[in-house]
Amino acid sequence: MILLDKPGTTGAPAPPRPAPPSRGAAVLRDLGLGIRFAAGGGREGWIRTLLTAVGVGLGVALLLLASSVPHLLDARSARDQARKESPASTASQSGRTDRSVLRVDAGSDFGDETISGFLMRAEGADPVLPPGIDRFPAPGTMVVSPALKELLASPGSGLLRERLAYRITGTIGDDGLRSPGELRYYAGSDTLTTARGAHRITEYGGAGETDPVPPLLVVLIVMVCVVLLVPVAIFIATAVRFGGDRRDRRLAALRLVGADIRTTRRIAAGEAMFGALLGLLLGLAFFLVGRLFVGSVELWDVSAFPADVVPDLRLGLLIVVAVPLTAVLVTLLAMRSVVIEPLGVVRRGRERGRRLWWRLLVPAAGLSVLVMKGRVGEFDPVDPVPIATGAVLVLVGLALLLPWLVEACVNRLRGGPVPWQLATRRLQLSSGAASRAVSGVTVAVAGAIALQMLFAAMSADFHRATGEDPSRAQFAAYSEDVTGDAATSAIERFRATEGVDTVIGSVEAYATKPGTYAEDDVTPTTSLTIGTCATLRELARIDRCEDGDAFVVHPPGDEEQAEWVDRTARKGKTVLIGEGMGREPFRWTLPADTPTVTARKDPMGEIHHGIMATTGALDASKLPGATIVAQIRVDDRVPDIAEYVRNTAYRIDPGMRFVELNPVARDRMYDSVRTGLQVGATVVLLLIAASMLVSQLEQLRERRRLLSVLVAFGTRRSTLGWSVLWQTAVPVALGLAVAVAGGLGLGATLAWMIHKTVVDWWLFWPMVGAGAGLIAVVTLASLPPLWRLMRPEGLRTE
Amino acid sequence: MIPEGSLLSAHDLRKTYGSTPALDGASFSVHPGEVVAVMGPSGSGKSTLLHCLAGIVNPDSGTITYAGRELSAMSDAERSALRRSDFGFVFQFGQLVPELTCVENVALPLRLNGVKRKAAERTALEWMERLEVDGLGGKRPGEVSGGQGQRVAVARALAGSPKVIFADEPTGALDSLNGERVMELLTEAARSSHVAVVLVTHEARVAAFSDRDVTVRDGRAHNLEYSA
Repeated sequence: MILLDKPGTTGAPAPPRPAPPSRGAAVLRDLGLGIRFAAGGGREGWIRTLLTAVGVGLGVALLLLASSVPHLLDARSARDQARKESPASTASQSGRTDRSVLRVDAGSDFGDETISGFLMRAEGADPVLPPGIDRFPAPGTMVVSPALKELLASPGSGLLRERLAYRITGTIGDDGLRSPGELRYYAGSDTLTTARGAHRITEYGGAGETDPVPPLLVVLIVMVCVVLLVPVAIFIATAVRFGGDRRDRRLAALRLVGADIRTTRRIAAGEAMFGALLGLLLGLAFFLVGRLFVGSVELWDVSAFPADVVPDLRLGLLIVVAVPLTAVLVTLLAMRSVVIEPLGVVRRGRERGRRLWWRLLVPAAGLSVLVMKGRVGEFDPVDPVPIATGAVLVLVGLALLLPWLVEACVNRLRGGPVPWQLATRRLQLSSGAASRAVSGVTVAVAGAIALQMLFAAMSADFHRATGEDPSRAQFAAYSEDVTGDAATSAIERFRATEGVDTVIGSVEAYATKPGTYAEDDVTPTTSLTIGTCATLRELARIDRCEDGDAFVVHPPGDEEQAEWVDRTARKGKTVLIGEGMGREPFRWTLPADTPTVTARKDPMGEIHHGIMATTGALDASKLPGATIVAQIRVDDRVPDIAEYVRNTAYRIDPGMRFVELNPVARDRMYDSVRTGLQVGATVVLLLIAASMLVSQLEQLRERRRLLSVLVAFGTRRSTLGWSVLWQTAVPVALGLAVAVAGGLGLGATLAWMIHKTVVDWWLFWPMVGAGAGLIAVVTLASLPPLWRLMRPEGLRTE
Repeated sequence: MIPEGSLLSAHDLRKTYGSTPALDGASFSVHPGEVVAVMGPSGSGKSTLLHCLAGIVNPDSGTITYAGRELSAMSDAERSALRRSDFGFVFQFGQLVPELTCVENVALPLRLNGVKRKAAERTALEWMERLEVDGLGGKRPGEVSGGQGQRVAVARALAGSPKVIFADEPTGALDSLNGERVMELLTEAARSSHVAVVLVTHEARVAAFSDRDVTVRDGRAHNLEYSA
């Protein structure tokens, strides 16, 4: 109180009250204050900020990785195109030049690895070089990719070294490789000729056109992206709310000293923004560090050069802007449900409860978008936007539905043993936090279930029955344009290979009816197969056969084709073999007493018809050019038998095609996408487990004193352990129920869109199992800190 | 060494936290139905003495005997079981489980001892009635006043029919009127049930509800004589 009757006793006049800041300055001041709270909140404040930042950072790193995929694919494709033969080169096959090169594709397999490679012979002094090498390999030498060099040097690669017995003189540079893990070589030769199947090349660089991605695969890829990225976005939204309760109490203290509600919101926004910005930086750091190691990681036969992992500029900018903005928006939205009063925090809306109607609208809108988009034609171009929008709406809708369901269910839970009661009461008090933590699981599992259904529905398209019969032969090798003794000796060499039981070896060529034909007439032509009686019996239903016999073979049940065969294969008449191959055709007369038989499928599932001749009837070495086909049955018990046979094939002709027979052809891309989904879903679930664990630990830390009190009056550790388990299990179980229902609905809709039927409604079990594993992981990881917090030190107040 | 007829006694207790001695040769005893106030300034070791007596904290040395059994020879599980069956606790604050209703809080020690929920809650309601908080059964701790909360805590401490109640500054967060009422109810109920009370306080007017005072200073307990 100032005593007015005592002038001068007040001393110096009170300093003038500073002018209130402008609105803009106030906003900046409040945001700055929020940042200060986040950064200067002592050890605990930093831990909270770091938890948020690490959570956001992991999400940002994943988003940056995802945004790098387009560039990564473009770069791979560009390098792939750059090493292909150019169209100009294909067009100028005529003559050798100073730059022309003869080459033959000499790719091979070793174990499960695919090795691409070419044998090359320079025709002039300045041969054209493929990208990645600066010197043409001399005959007997090769340049190899680093991965192949490593494989060749490894102890178990003796048989591969035997096959690629060239001296290594250089390494293929990154610009000549699709990915760091690619196994590739270029070997020099001095024996290649066009007559022996080599191809002349004068220029590298493909047209840059790639096959369009099939519509069904587009649907799959869109869904994989949605399913993996939506949970990450939800995870980021959850991470920015770490430590929310403590922040609310701090803001209440600020209200006590006069901060209004707007100010507290701005401070909270500043705090969230700081965590998110720090997360953004951490995410960038995680991404850059991860990028350094990306070259040494190979997943599903795919690896990437670090230089290729570059985020798309627009997507990268979107991430940089959207993440802090999301953090602020999520914080402000979360604060709508609480009233921060000077004396504490009041949670609003508990009596009213959560509303269901608008939560149902979102997934319903998603399904409507998908249904309205209609069915995707097998060959029509597909617009990914409505599919992605519909799927995102359904998945986000499920995440919105979950808090309502958790609240509705836990509010009905009564009684039970003490751990159950502690858990359910805790959930009743804060079901929102539990739902938030679980919403990521729900979305990830629902998306994965929908995708698994889609995969199962589409599997028939990707897994085709080949008709191949591995019980008759496990391998097939064929080599084109073979002349002279090579045709017969090749089959003998296969027969002599260690571990080979039988070889169905045939020499194949085309026979034509001699005559003069008009330009638009089709020359009567049929195939000619030469082999032993044993071989021919594998290809046609032949009762009696002696060396020197020949047969006219009709396809089974195809009169038209049989008639076409007979137009060329006229008994007692001459046929021309190898006409149109640039050499003099061989004339041969089909014996007049040649019987007609019916063809049967060979081990490769193919039907050979036309003319068949035993080696005594027609000498294969006289043919001007032929294809040799060897279908080989081996003794599986011989270790590395496949490599022995491959080595023989390579020795016969490095350009020889060699395949392993399999009754079902599996699309490797399909398998890769499916494996990718499983690995991605697991990573997302682990990320969510980390988020749930952080929330759980935060909650336990806040209840340190209460835990000590419970210990004081003798509560068993197991009682609290079980309560933690139930507290995790109840929302996760509800989340999984929503995920199963939503995932099945989404999967069925997507299957309908691509004209498929759902083949298996029980595909959700593995994902439910993964969810159960997540409960176990979170509970088990929570127990050690719980035991630590259950010490009596929490009772000490001094 | 053990005072005759004592229910709980301690001899020459020593306990240090890091390099700070909290108890330095403290001895203590309490008889059945007796209310003993442990007094002393802040940091003197009162709460540590209470924690040691209750088997929450193990002393570095010294002996504690309860009903003829050596506490320090018991395992952690045995001490927990003893606390569940024979001891009750009232703390200054933060002791009620916020998500449980008041009646569920009071019933908690009984339920931890294996009593069925309905029976436990029936007993809890009886004790709440005695502690004059019978109308708060369905409310959560956050919805009742501090004084009401402490009475609920006292009801909880008594509900398990303990032999000893340990009360650590039970009125520290209450105004004097509420504090006195809580103490009246606690001591009356304890005496009528022949329950011993170890009451840690630094307020003389709270200690006035006890039968005997013990002062702890620099980790030592003084005035051990039975003064009744």
